[in-house]
Amino acid sequence: MKIIVFIEQIVSTQVKLQGVDYFDPSRVSEDDLIINPSSKNALEGALKLKDQLGAEVTVVCVRGLKPNKALREAIAMGCTDAIEIADETIYTDDPLLLAKVYVETLEKIGEFDLVFLEAEEQATGSYAIGAMLSEKLGLPSVLYAEELEVIDSGYKVGHVLEGGRKIVAMPSKGIISCSDSQYFTPRYTSMRGILTAKRAVIPTWTAADLGLSSSVVGKEATSLIEVSLSNIVLEKESYIIKEGEPEEKVENLLAKLKEDEVKLGA
Amino acid sequence: MVKSLVFGQIREDNIEENTLGVLNKLTEISEISEIVVALLGHEIKDEWIEKLGKHGASKVITVKAPELEVYLSRPYVKAVLEIIKITEPKLVIAAGTVYGEDLIPRLAVHHGVSCAQRINDISSVGVELHFHTPVRDDQAMKVTKIEGTIKFATSRAGAFFVNENPTGGSPNVESLDVTFSEDDFLVKHIEIKKAERTVNLKDAKVIVAGGRGVGGKEQFQIIRELAEILGGEIGATRACTDVHWIEETYEIGQTGQSVSPDLYIAAGISGAPQHVSGIKAKTLIAINTDEGAAIFNFADYGIVGDLHVILPILKQKLQG
Ligand SMILES: Cc1cc2nc3c(=O)[nH]c(=O)nc-3n(C[C@H](O)[C@H](O)[C@H](O)COP(=O)(O)OP(=O)(O)OC[C@H]3O[C@@H](n4cnc5c(N)ncnc54)[C@H](O)[C@@H]3O)c2cc1C
Repeated sequence: MKIIVFIEQIVSTQVKLQGVDYFDPSRVSEDDLIINPSSKNALEGALKLKDQLGAEVTVVCVRGLKPNKALREAIAMGCTDAIEIADETIYTDDPLLLAKVYVETLEKIGEFDLVFLEAEEQATGSYAIGAMLSEKLGLPSVLYAEELEVIDSGYKVGHVLEGGRKIVAMPSKGIISCSDSQYFTPRYTSMRGILTAKRAVIPTWTAADLGLSSSVVGKEATSLIEVSLSNIVLEKESYIIKEGEPEEKVENLLAKLKEDEVKLGA
Repeated sequence: MVKSLVFGQIREDNIEENTLGVLNKLTEISEISEIVVALLGHEIKDEWIEKLGKHGASKVITVKAPELEVYLSRPYVKAVLEIIKITEPKLVIAAGTVYGEDLIPRLAVHHGVSCAQRINDISSVGVELHFHTPVRDDQAMKVTKIEGTIKFATSRAGAFFVNENPTGGSPNVESLDVTFSEDDFLVKHIEIKKAERTVNLKDAKVIVAGGRGVGGKEQFQIIRELAEILGGEIGATRACTDVHWIEETYEIGQTGQSVSPDLYIAAGISGAPQHVSGIKAKTLIAINTDEGAAIFNFADYGIVGDLHVILPILKQKLQG
């Protein structure tokens, strides 16, 4: 059994880059990069099946911004191997172009059974990638999965739904995007994994290796044109208390609420 | 002028609220010439069609089939693609529910274009439509346009307000037959586990809500105690209801309850868009150990600190 996990490396939301600065690659250092938490849920989904069914798990990351760090961490979590797609011509802000890169990557990999990916893509700010990939490949998919069970015909998957959870059955070949749930809570890296990751040889594929050119996956190919990116100016300042002992912080808050005539209590 | 097609969603035997919000938004855009709604299901009620008309739909195209009882990607994509073929809209839009977010990108792929997601505004600049999506925890706004003859978008949950007194008329109704094959049902519906809604938080004036940062079932006690002192209700994120630290009824957000209290205290909650989209509070106070947590962008007041230290002090001061 072979599982492919597409992960995204993002700028940690912990970095102190506010607003549009967060999207400026020149302000981002390698230390600021982490695996998208939603991608970690996808990794966990694949690794659970690896534990249960003995699957081979290949992790793939498409990024211009030094993706090796994310891939090594994924191997340290338990993935079998990794592939880096590093090519600055790939325009990653458009989920459709990213889906095209994923399709060709899968084509080059060859046989596979399942694809896991994140429910939420941060670069594109969208949920689209899983749905688009599924449609491009003509494979069945379940998005926003929260739990998964192996059954005879494939998988029984529970996914997020307004007002509850929906349970569906899907065949053994397909696509699953994973949400932040108890079932998909990511494992930590292991000592053995870290050693394996250190030694791992990670091949780098370019768009040309996938038979893709910038007229297909480059910025010139996008139909989703960015008109502007600007900071949102808040109408009111928020009053956030960072300094002081806990008791002082609470007193500070209560005094400010009193001053602003905010009533505490129904 | 832009002819638009809205994916009509049904929830709990009624037209889903955010769908009405989308209709309302479209009626405000002068470039939109016609609003058509695609309404799919096993049974389609006249009152739903009337409601869609009242909220601005001039036409409703229905596809009735037992196979469409519950949303599944393939049959729904197939049916809506048929509707697109006969209506030739320039804009196809759905409220950003789980189903809406699933459907729209798939339709876009079939038209060889991308889609704008989680928009909270549409503006028309000349003949062009611009889609506004808040990004980076709502600190920045990305405006995009889609090149091509047909544009696809989803709205963010709670982004568009629903007109309480809509003045539209009766829409034209057209029905369409779509045939399905076994291949359309590779994914099979088993069941929907509805979260029990035993407590209605809609009218609560004060809500003290806890997130994963609370740390466990027993630790939720401090949230309950504070809520009691303030005469309010408790609330939680999906992360907490998923692990049964607290009953599902208390989930707040896109897939939980929508609330509009005077005061909302968010403790140990990161501020995911799906959670905050369900909150319209006059005052929001956040307590979080992470200074960079998104919730502080939505908060009026906040304390950077451990909730298990801060809340007991707050409780004590309020009691004393
Ligand atoms: C389609 C879809 C729909 C969804 N709908 C909803 C919904 O309706 N409602 C909902 O809530 N979620 C929903 N979610 C899930 C949502 O995306 C988030 O995963 C969830 O809201 C996160 O919950 P959280 O903030 O409790 O957890 P986390 O994101 O893990 O945040 C925990 C926070 O607690 C802080 N913290 C940790 N320890 C402490 C401490 N001791 N004191 C203070 N702070 C501390 C951390 O800094 C962190 O910010 C949905 C997801 C999807 C994909």
